[in-house]
Amino acid sequence: MTQTTLPPIKKNEPVSAPRGGISDRSRAERRLGWRLAGPAFAVMLLVTAYPILQAVYYSLFNYRLTDPENRSFVGLGNYFVILSDSLWWQAVAVTVLITVVTVVVELVLGFALALVMSKALSTLRPVLRAAILIPYAVITVVSAFSWRFAFNITTGFVNSWLSWLPGIGADTDWFGGKWTSLLVICLSEIWKTTPFISLLLLAGLAQVPDVLQEAAQVDGATWWQRLWKVTIPNMKAAIMVALLFRTLDAFRIFDSIFVMTAGANGTESVSFLAYRQTISRVEIGLGSAVSVLLFLCVVLIAFAFIRGFKIDLAQTRGEK
Amino acid sequence: MHTSRIARPARGGRRTRRGLIAASAAAVLASSLAACGGGDGGSTPTLTWYINPDSGGQAEIASRCSEASDGRYNIEVAQLPRTPEGQREQLVRRLAAQDESIDLMSLDVVFAPELAQAGFLAPVPADLADRVSEGTFPGSVESATWDDELVVIPFWANTQLLWYRKSVAEAAGLDMTQPVTWDQLVAAAQDQQKILSAQGRRSESLTVWLTALIESAGGSIIEENSTNPEDIKLGLASPAGQRAAEVMHDVAVSGVVGPAFTTASEDISASQFESADAGFMVNWPYVWAQAQTKVEAGTLDQSVPEDYGWTLYPRVDADTPSAPPLGGINLGVSAYSRYADFGYEATECITSDENQAYYMNTNGNPASSAAVYDDPEVQEVYPMANTIRESLAAAKPRPLTPYYSEVTGGIQREYHPPASVSDSTGQQADDLISAVLSGDQLL
Amino acid sequence: MSRREKTWWWIAGVVILLYCLFPIAWIASLSFKGPADIANQQFLPSTTTTENYSTILTGTASDLFLPALRNSFGICLIATFISCILSMFAAYAIARLDFPGKKLILSTALAVAIFPVISIVTPLFNLWRQIGLYDTWLGLIIPYLSLTLPLSIWTMSAFFREIPWEMEQAAQVDGATTWQAFRKVIVPLAAPGVFTTAIIAFFIAWNDFAYGISLTSTSRARPVPAALGLFSGASQFEDPTGAIAAAAVIVTIPVVVLVLIFQRRIVAGLTNGAVKG
Repeated sequence: MTQTTLPPIKKNEPVSAPRGGISDRSRAERRLGWRLAGPAFAVMLLVTAYPILQAVYYSLFNYRLTDPENRSFVGLGNYFVILSDSLWWQAVAVTVLITVVTVVVELVLGFALALVMSKALSTLRPVLRAAILIPYAVITVVSAFSWRFAFNITTGFVNSWLSWLPGIGADTDWFGGKWTSLLVICLSEIWKTTPFISLLLLAGLAQVPDVLQEAAQVDGATWWQRLWKVTIPNMKAAIMVALLFRTLDAFRIFDSIFVMTAGANGTESVSFLAYRQTISRVEIGLGSAVSVLLFLCVVLIAFAFIRGFKIDLAQTRGEK
Repeated sequence: MHTSRIARPARGGRRTRRGLIAASAAAVLASSLAACGGGDGGSTPTLTWYINPDSGGQAEIASRCSEASDGRYNIEVAQLPRTPEGQREQLVRRLAAQDESIDLMSLDVVFAPELAQAGFLAPVPADLADRVSEGTFPGSVESATWDDELVVIPFWANTQLLWYRKSVAEAAGLDMTQPVTWDQLVAAAQDQQKILSAQGRRSESLTVWLTALIESAGGSIIEENSTNPEDIKLGLASPAGQRAAEVMHDVAVSGVVGPAFTTASEDISASQFESADAGFMVNWPYVWAQAQTKVEAGTLDQSVPEDYGWTLYPRVDADTPSAPPLGGINLGVSAYSRYADFGYEATECITSDENQAYYMNTNGNPASSAAVYDDPEVQEVYPMANTIRESLAAAKPRPLTPYYSEVTGGIQREYHPPASVSDSTGQQADDLISAVLSGDQLL
Repeated sequence: MSRREKTWWWIAGVVILLYCLFPIAWIASLSFKGPADIANQQFLPSTTTTENYSTILTGTASDLFLPALRNSFGICLIATFISCILSMFAAYAIARLDFPGKKLILSTALAVAIFPVISIVTPLFNLWRQIGLYDTWLGLIIPYLSLTLPLSIWTMSAFFREIPWEMEQAAQVDGATTWQAFRKVIVPLAAPGVFTTAIIAFFIAWNDFAYGISLTSTSRARPVPAALGLFSGASQFEDPTGAIAAAAVIVTIPVVVLVLIFQRRIVAGLTNGAVKG
């Protein structure tokens, strides 16, 4: 930024043509911009836009893969069937529950982790940083298998380790009921994704000006007061981004449920419901309608976040 | 009762002869191959056989039958997912895509109608249909038939037996040489404080259990079959359905089904039956081979399997014979295969009595041909061979319909957990499945 | 810092370590259990055995596991490479050039990042079987690009904004051609960001499950996470717990190695892409 030989250009700002009229140079820049960014843009659009449009189209038909001759147009019929079905609402409830529980716990736990990391002794920090990346990097399916085997009544050690707790013994069947199954699913999700949140929060923590902290300390604020009045408000942007990404991620939960319960005992998520209608039941029409509804839910959440919490993603990323 | 009608040794003998011819052809081929140092590999068609995972038996049979083909075709195996549902998902989607790379398929006994109705199976040559139907258990033939035509070739057949610990049955004063009922088993297990193991998990095994109960009570899950999903009439709410629900509920709440009954699979039942609390169990014959393997590995005491007893599947009512569950694999030939004629030729080799006996002895999967049970080696490996044959002769397949996954999915949803089953469950399941079949509800 | 405080930080650190490593230690321990120990309900095996590893590496499950491992590596590396090249150009344009539609590209990337994979699996399956991409490497590489591109573009453009581009101009003023300026000045500055993005993109591709189980069917293209569901016990009804655990350990090794070597970079990449103040 302390360039002396060149005209003053702010580091983060693109080199732009002089104001007033589109010069040849700026036209060339436009062309170059699209030529460079175009391929990535096209690939992203093709791989997602085409399939979702096809899903929208199929969702208007009664179409079974094994019986293509009897395909018939049903308009919005599939959507009525789904929205009036308790199974859909149960899947939505399970998905929302998993999302809320995991995101809240992850946020609290991730914040605690970030605090420890930020204060940790320099000898310990690299070790912690490496360790914390491991759950993030491990395959979700592997994590789900690990937790499933740990709680499973025959292969697991959890029952024998926790047998001192009332209500838990060698016969405790975690995957036998809805709530205990969901608990284990949530645990595995929390384990896997807390580190990601904590890293985002750690970066946010680093942005809280030390001056403010010191000033508050001088004013006699307790640690707790400083946390709520200084630290958290100053890292709101980081918290919101973490919240948004994790919420959307949690709402699409599929792998863990597939591995751990396969949807038994009312643990089916919306993604899993969509998977079963299209892939297992080969009801392409009905399944596409579930997929489209899932897509709309995700868009709605993203929209609500961005509008409701006024997250300006561009701003948090240093855009204008 | 069907046994005498089925196990006709004369026919079994003919099948074995065919096996011998195949074997000698193989020997001739092997020597000629050795002589010319490899055949004209380029022009030999390769049949791809999609198999369910096993202990290598199907791969071995594939190479035997490739040799027996006299160089006219080669059979390669490719593995499908572990669960029957997973196998079906993959095959149905690929066949719907008219995938030419599938020639032969190992299909679970419940999937033939769906594939046949969709036109995914090449028609079975009439003479072959006659040949393979003879001497094969009626349940297996029924499961291989759709719309009065044989559409797949029965390969091996499975059935559940009632396994008991001799010591427990004796202490409870239960005469196991006579047919026993579910009520008697519950009472005996309660009396001896031992476990009665069954499969209460929300999976295919629940449908297996319910089918056996309803059929044993003299009813059927599908009372009137149809190719039109909306015309299928279900019998879950019939008197037999009610009786089946009652038995299922009584067993589930008996307090002797062991912990984790709602997630108990065949494997969990098998390990329960090896424990000190074991009393009775309904399960497939693989538990015997498994226990023997464990004894050899030194992880199970010899005395445990020595205490195993076996008999026919329990009855629902004392005076009605039981209808044991039927499982197993049928072979399908894809309609999109370029070598359907070779495919059917290969199925005849694969399902020869010789290969069925080999498969039964090495991979633990019982033969669908009754004559195989007379094989001395089978008799030696399976002390319960005669019971298996008797059970298979009486076994009834699960509902045969192109909409099988909807039917079994609906059953699993309504009848799980088994302890929650009540008088109204049958009607609810009936309503749910009908609504799903008419496209008015999700599943 | 007082001695007491120090002790507390140490304890907190050890708790975090345990938290992070416990499930991995468990599946590793499980993978060394023999059939007799699988159901021993203890954390550790009573006798360690490498039986499960020989099952999947040389034994009955090796036909299933080894091709899957090869597919996973091949597909993920190629997808990572392509996604890095494409997003490098895109990120350069975003960070450096002024053109309309920049926001559109970034928003599209965000929209694609939040896209539910399940919603597009079936249409993709139908399309792939029509054009012959079903059960091929390319058939997985393309959808993997939709997973890796958005994050790569965001992360890389964040990195590129940090680069002092003035130096490029300075070099040009000094008489270097545009290409020379780019190669000698910009490439060395941009390389760490590209590399970091590549690691993160690789993690994302490596983690995929839904595409893997839906768009493949044989050893030709099936990746490891999808192959885990195909292992079988000695019979149809026996659970292949040990084999799954061993395979899980093997697919975890590459990511752990990457984490250990490049931890500092990965942290920078993850946080740079998402929170940039």
